[in-house]
Amino acid sequence: MSTEISAYPSSVLVGFIQFLIIIVLAPLLTGIMRRIKAITQKRIGSSIFQTYFDLLKLIRKDEVISEESSWIFRYSPWIIFSATLVVAFFIPILIPYPPFGLGFDIILLLGLFGLCRFFLMLAGLDVSSAFGGIGVSREMMTSSLLEPALFLVLFTLAVTYGSTNIYTIVSHAAEGSMMISASILFSLFGFFIIVMAETGKLPFDNPATHLELTMVHEAMVLEYSGKRLAVIELSQSIKQLVLMILFINFFIPWGLSTNFSPATMIGGLGIFLTKIITLGVLISYIESKVAKWRLFRIPDLIFLCMASGLMGMIFLYI
Amino acid sequence: MSDNLFGKKIFEYESIIHEKFSERIQNIYCKNFNEIHILTISPEDSNEVSYFIHDKLRCGLVTVICTDERNIENTIDWKDKSVNSKQTINFNKNWQYGFSLRLIFSSETDDIFFIVTTFLPNVDNPAYPSNVVRIPSAIYYEKEIFDMFGIIAQGNPDTRKLVLHERWPDNQFPLRRDFNIKTKNKIRLNKPYKFLKVEGEGICEIPVGPVHAGIIEPGHFRFSIYGENILNLETRLYYTHKGIEKLAETMTLDEALLLSERISGDESVANSMAYCQAIERMASIQIPKKAAQIRTICAELERIWNHLGTVAGMCTDVGFAYGSSRINILKEKIMRINEKLSGSRLLFGVNKIGGVKIDFKPETLGLILADLSQILQDFDNLVKSLHNTSSFMDRLKGTGIISSQDVQALGANGVIARCVGIDIDTRKNHPYAYYQYIDLENIQGIVDKIAYEVELKKRKGDVLSRFEVRVVEITHSVHIIKKIATDILDKSTKQELHNTPQTQNDEGLVIDNLKNHLQPYDSALGYSESHRGQTIHWVMLGKDSNKIFRYKIRTASFCNWPLIELAVQNNIIPDFPLINKSFDLSYSGNDL
Repeated sequence: MSTEISAYPSSVLVGFIQFLIIIVLAPLLTGIMRRIKAITQKRIGSSIFQTYFDLLKLIRKDEVISEESSWIFRYSPWIIFSATLVVAFFIPILIPYPPFGLGFDIILLLGLFGLCRFFLMLAGLDVSSAFGGIGVSREMMTSSLLEPALFLVLFTLAVTYGSTNIYTIVSHAAEGSMMISASILFSLFGFFIIVMAETGKLPFDNPATHLELTMVHEAMVLEYSGKRLAVIELSQSIKQLVLMILFINFFIPWGLSTNFSPATMIGGLGIFLTKIITLGVLISYIESKVAKWRLFRIPDLIFLCMASGLMGMIFLYI
Repeated sequence: MSDNLFGKKIFEYESIIHEKFSERIQNIYCKNFNEIHILTISPEDSNEVSYFIHDKLRCGLVTVICTDERNIENTIDWKDKSVNSKQTINFNKNWQYGFSLRLIFSSETDDIFFIVTTFLPNVDNPAYPSNVVRIPSAIYYEKEIFDMFGIIAQGNPDTRKLVLHERWPDNQFPLRRDFNIKTKNKIRLNKPYKFLKVEGEGICEIPVGPVHAGIIEPGHFRFSIYGENILNLETRLYYTHKGIEKLAETMTLDEALLLSERISGDESVANSMAYCQAIERMASIQIPKKAAQIRTICAELERIWNHLGTVAGMCTDVGFAYGSSRINILKEKIMRINEKLSGSRLLFGVNKIGGVKIDFKPETLGLILADLSQILQDFDNLVKSLHNTSSFMDRLKGTGIISSQDVQALGANGVIARCVGIDIDTRKNHPYAYYQYIDLENIQGIVDKIAYEVELKKRKGDVLSRFEVRVVEITHSVHIIKKIATDILDKSTKQELHNTPQTQNDEGLVIDNLKNHLQPYDSALGYSESHRGQTIHWVMLGKDSNKIFRYKIRTASFCNWPLIELAVQNNIIPDFPLINKSFDLSYSGNDL
């Protein structure tokens, strides 16, 4: 639990392994979730590795960049990608300790995700296509509501575990009892909705749609092609995985290795993979059971999430 | 059909019109079982008669047909064909041939069509006074006639192009006889289309299309939005204008049959049936009963698979993939039945002038009946689960509301009319094929007329009511098919038992000598109810009675497209795809 033990070279190695796991497995998770959705619709669906092939295809392809666009459009994907990679460096999977001897604050995490979103929106507006504008305005509407909800939920956690440092929260949660307190339960509910919203799942957004007029996230990246699109899609997959890992580590962290012995770490990894795939299956199942909500009813859902965050906070003190 | 010929109703109407407008009418006669032809002296007279029919007799305008008859002697309209008519004719000898203009009205209570004809003199800039002020639904027909014939409707407020876009030269009118079909225009004008501009702070315009992200037909939509709210929508269609009507003028009757199947691929039976009926009515014959049964079964199958496709599409557009994939499975099953029955998944090649090309074996019919029952059961379960999915129902309810006033004014029909509680259905109002032998009201479960009226009044005209209308129609169609199939099966078992000799007229599938009954320059209406609504075809034969002189097609999409612009007002942008899908209109059938 103490942050001083992290200076060992072995912990740096573990840190890199964690980073690689996130980068490499992120598209796989997207592939698995698509496959699950296909199965619930009685389709065979594409292979779970299809997302990798898609990325490879996009990287090899030519790009079309609008003449109307400025540097924002061209550099945004790289800014988004690097911000996402920075986040990926600090997400605990194998051990709840900072592998590089640095703490990682939730506020920083939110800031980095905010940076991604900011540049994604700018890029959507930059090409001055009608759909980009629509997508951005919708994204702004959702995210401006979503962020307070996220803060509320995370602060409940921070107050419960006594820190805003991710490692402290995770290690305390992992050592805590399995009896979940009411406040954590409410936060869990709120955070789950946030994960759905942030990753653009139904009922918030339908990533599989071909209808320009209903898109949110897809509308913002509509003008991208080739390498830049691949980078954005990979960032999106990583973001999805990161949020799901955080969900697991904050609320169901049991099974996480508390020391550096390879055996427990591998065992922990196995448990982690089971949990993440179960969560992925659950999310895909929910997605297939619900239609996209009317745009102006989405705030209702976010208010629900906010209220549950607030309830969590209240339960903490009574 | 034939009831009217001997019934009094048609003569009553004839007398009413003749008495009231004896000064304005040159000739009035009945033709083709249920058409009352009224030849007026001048375009002004034609308008007066039309207003009377439209306002007083409560008949809806179904189409306006313009024909270039400048160089022909249209003896049919002038010869005293009124054998059954009691009226005398004020024959006017001082006549010059020109463009003819036929306004066709359909009675909603009786199986009668009124055809108000007027001839415009052959001058440089032919014109006639517009009907739009009294009959709003005429606006699109008048614009179409201006584009295709260059005949000006004086007083039509909208002078923008409709069918031919701005790049087309101003002085070329494709449907005039002197326009060569092989003409290739080198001149490309570069005039913009004047969209209605909504101005004010915070109002944006979004152009969508004509190229869309999905595999759909082309159409341009210009939204004026305030935030997400749609203030105004203007549609710009006719990107798939193929010149079908012009092409038909070079064809023989049999060739045009193939053309009619391809007007809009998903309405192949409805369109080819309307075309065949026009020719059959011209020849004054009834097709064999078995042929009528087969036609009707195919028409209903077509309705089922298209309605299923639309319901599935609505699920896709609200992002409910589970519902759409399940319903698409049922659609696929119906298409396989189509293939088994007709050899074509889209039911191409079913109809033939004078009958049908395919025959149903009793064994296959039995199998298909079992399949259909299974499909209907699955469908009922799916609809139940859709009704229980609150997120799905919430998207449908209250979205894209249209008013019955708008529907009536713009002459919309089919599902669009029925979803606001206007009970018009060509199958009921103007029975054709085998529908006259089926008790449709019984199948639709209309026991108590008043209760049914109340039920109709409850329909709100939103996406949900269009969804419900389609769901109900699928069920009814299955029942109709079952009814006809049992009729066919009963008959074939009876024959086996009694071994009765088959009479030629009743048992064949085609009437072969039909073409001998056709006269040069004869014309007739053909109509059917496609899954989108009323389909009206009008065929006029050429000097050679095996050739087509003019083929006018009006599919339901043409009448229903204007309603979309009204339906989306005050809705939000992300709901537009859903509203559009709930209308389920064809671009190809509209653009021709």
